[in-house]
Amino acid sequence: MEQRFKQMAEQIKDAAAENKTLQIVGGGSKVPLYDDAEVLSMEGYSGVLSYEPSELVITVRAGTTLEELHQVLAEKNQMVAFEPPEYGNSTIGGTYACALTGPAKPFRGKLRDYVLGTKLLDGQGRELNFGGKMIKNVAGYDVSRMLAGSKGSMALVTEMSLKVMPLVEEVTYRIEMPECDAIVLMNKMAGTSLPMSGGAYYQGHFYYRVMGEHPKQTNRVGVEAVDNSIWKILNPFKPKLEPGQKLWRLDVESTNPCIDGTIAVGMGGTRRWVASEHKPDHPYVTLWDDRFLPRHNDGKGVKKIKQGLKKVFDPHHVFKDL
Amino acid sequence: MAFLEEIQEIKMRVVEALKNALPKGCVLASDEECRPYECDALSAYREKPLAVALPETVEQVKEVLRICKAHGTPVITRGSGTGLAGGTLPLQDGIILGLSKLNKILKVDPLQRIAVVQPGVRNIQVSEAVEPHGLYYAPDPSSQIACSIGGNVAENSGGVHCLKYGLTVHNVTSIRVLNMDGEEYVFDEKDDGVDLLALLNGSEGLLGVIVEIKLKLLPKPDAAQLVMAAFQSVTECADAVTAVLEQGIIPAGLEMMDKFSIQAAEDFAKVGYPTDAEALLLCEVDGSFDQVQVDAKRVADILTSKGAYEIKVSQSERERIALWQGRKNAFPAVGRYSPDYYCMDGTIPRSKLAYVLEEIKKMSERYGLRVANVFHAGDGNLHPLILYDANKPGELEQTEKFGGEILNLCVDVGGTITGEHGVGVEKLNSMCHQYHGHELEIFHGIKEVFDDTGLLNPGKAVPTLHRCAELGHMHVHNGQLPFGHLERF
Ligand SMILES: Cc1cc2nc3c(=O)[nH]c(=O)nc-3n(C[C@H](O)[C@H](O)[C@H](O)COP(=O)(O)OP(=O)(O)OC[C@H]3O[C@@H](n4cnc5c(N)ncnc54)[C@H](O)[C@@H]3O)c2cc1C
Ligand SMILES: Cc1cc2nc3c(=O)[nH]c(=O)nc-3n(C[C@H](O)[C@H](O)[C@H](O)COP(=O)(O)OP(=O)(O)OC[C@H]3O[C@@H](n4cnc5c(N)ncnc54)[C@H](O)[C@@H]3O)c2cc1C
Repeated sequence: MEQRFKQMAEQIKDAAAENKTLQIVGGGSKVPLYDDAEVLSMEGYSGVLSYEPSELVITVRAGTTLEELHQVLAEKNQMVAFEPPEYGNSTIGGTYACALTGPAKPFRGKLRDYVLGTKLLDGQGRELNFGGKMIKNVAGYDVSRMLAGSKGSMALVTEMSLKVMPLVEEVTYRIEMPECDAIVLMNKMAGTSLPMSGGAYYQGHFYYRVMGEHPKQTNRVGVEAVDNSIWKILNPFKPKLEPGQKLWRLDVESTNPCIDGTIAVGMGGTRRWVASEHKPDHPYVTLWDDRFLPRHNDGKGVKKIKQGLKKVFDPHHVFKDL
Repeated sequence: MAFLEEIQEIKMRVVEALKNALPKGCVLASDEECRPYECDALSAYREKPLAVALPETVEQVKEVLRICKAHGTPVITRGSGTGLAGGTLPLQDGIILGLSKLNKILKVDPLQRIAVVQPGVRNIQVSEAVEPHGLYYAPDPSSQIACSIGGNVAENSGGVHCLKYGLTVHNVTSIRVLNMDGEEYVFDEKDDGVDLLALLNGSEGLLGVIVEIKLKLLPKPDAAQLVMAAFQSVTECADAVTAVLEQGIIPAGLEMMDKFSIQAAEDFAKVGYPTDAEALLLCEVDGSFDQVQVDAKRVADILTSKGAYEIKVSQSERERIALWQGRKNAFPAVGRYSPDYYCMDGTIPRSKLAYVLEEIKKMSERYGLRVANVFHAGDGNLHPLILYDANKPGELEQTEKFGGEILNLCVDVGGTITGEHGVGVEKLNSMCHQYHGHELEIFHGIKEVFDDTGLLNPGKAVPTLHRCAELGHMHVHNGQLPFGHLERF
């Protein structure tokens, strides 16, 4: 693997020298390939480098599949609490690069919350280490959290350390009701001491998930206990669409009223999936299809900052931009 | 002399411009008025600022920034000045931008469970304001009655409950930030691409002035119970913590104290800590009534099986709070034994705790300076308190050297130089030990993207490559020194 690491660094340096563009590919579950870009594949650059269950930290190579990660952790009764979606062969590196988080987001936090440190190769093929293996660390800017979501455009992430959590027992309940009422109810319930770990609305039902010991739910009118499959249906969400429709992912405030065309509400109300031909009129919308499309919703100032940061990490513009 | 004259002249011009822009009483310029702003809680470092500006509105903050940019005057943003790393240490030719008058809670939305606050709002005020809704703001630094939310974000502060509920970065969902031109940015958790909100957390006032913060609020747990356990050795205590975490319990708080701290805290707070113990553990579990009962019993059983020779489980809210009092006052309690104390803030893997404490003991003997240790055992954050007397010539310098050695040790066992207090001016040298040339270059690059004037809190948080080269900390890679072109002394 050391050899492989050196090769990756060389590939980046060569690309910089020859003005070539590199497309980083993790599991390749989605990433589009372009004619003008050479592939930098993370395939097989995998494995657990260290794992200390009692320190709640695991360090893995970025090409490690989510499947392997889950398996290693489950053996010690632990998990990655941000519940990354499994798109088939997804790697932890690709998941990090897309900052993908599952249904417990408002309750247990998102992917970057669990990132403790990363090892990178920047656009000059230089090895960089940010953060570390400690849950608390405020030395230097928090680059390893910042790059969560950078989609392979700033640096190649080769290793990362993540905070892990004990596996918890979870059960799911549902209530039949209209969507708008469900949105209010899921917010109300999240403000009580009920240990919730999921709140969603799908096909006429409000679903909520509870972890650990909690008061009996099914003695309440209309509440039925169901299995936990709904959370896999919504994460990753792969609905069948009508011809001409597109799938849009919206990030909103949890209390945002119902939005036209919504086919699923997730993450305690903060995530809405809309099926429609045209882009919904909202500030935080992503088209969820086979292409990677940037959102273009950054203001002028923020755009300038992002361009500036790109230059800091990748001055020769080696990594494919979005 | 020329420098001082120049400063006097700039001072006159800047103060005049500030006085024109701000309401009466919002610009302090005399030595006497500025004195309280000469240092933060790391009072060993002091400097007179050019002036202090205390704007009352965000528009006025913008105006201050524009004036300073026009005059090339450095701006050191200050919240409550409780920082422990000299982050708000003034510069002779720079102003202190104090945000204590921006102290309004702008909005509380109980349904959405958020509060929008100005940066000068004190940490405790948020929890007090939302308490009627059964909510609270989780990060609880021990300084919470005084420190500001803006300062918390700038330092990414933690508290005794952060193992379970996270640091500041985990509890902030959006911020409004100004650059030196007074231009405004919003960094929100819903943003796409690189996570600038995360970057600004812990950026120590170098990347922008935070003028508005949206905080996540949590429902107050139904119940909490504290288990206190005494051990005959530090190793036993650390192993017991390991066992608790391995059993899948994430306590809300998990604090450990060494013998000296236990005695000092008991002396101070008289809460019934066993003063003969070598190590004391305070383990709090919270959540639903049912869960807490189950967990408190499990914790007590695990700790007993791991060698705790005395266990006390709080039986009432009053008792729980009383038992915390000793720990919460550990710093001042230890401080009573000495004219001055110096608080360190390294993190280490828990498995290395016994080794690190043993090494610190050796150093303590070597330096002839006493040390008390408190430890956030869940997340590895170690606070050695070094006792010294600033009036004894050379003792502060010895203390700093001792502290620096402790931090290097933390890095060497796989930890870091600061878990929550930040780098400020205090740990610049230690940064050279933790990071290498390339990473430091990236840090400076990031700074320049946000602040190409370099006027925002200059000289803090990230050491110059030059400084590290001088210290001889620069990493030698394949026999080649990076930055070979840099002058070395
Ligand atoms: C139909 C469909 C639509 C999707 N739409 C989107 C979308 O619009 N936006 C979105 O964010 N996600 C989207 N995803 C999810 C995402 O593309 C990947 O499926 C997920 O990241 C799984 O990881 P992977 O290893 O397969 O990543 P890949 O598909 O291989 O790569 C995903 C991205 O991560 C980058 N990357 C991978 N590994 C690394 C690394 N080690 N270092 C740095 N960068 C790396 C790649 O350059 C690419 O930009 C979609 C998935 C599917 C199936
Ligand atoms: C007794 C005591 C106990 C403490 N306990 C803890 C603890 O448990 N956990 C912990 O993490 N810390 C603790 N601290 C340290 C300190 O309280 C925290 O770092 C706190 O967050 C500082 O807040 P402040 O408002 O006092 O900031 P200041 O000291 O005023 O400033 C700190 C830094 O933040 C910058 N800054 C402040 N406001 C802004 C803003 N609005 N925009 C941009 N930059 C800004 C400053 O430039 C400076 O670099 C303790 C301190 C004391 C004295």
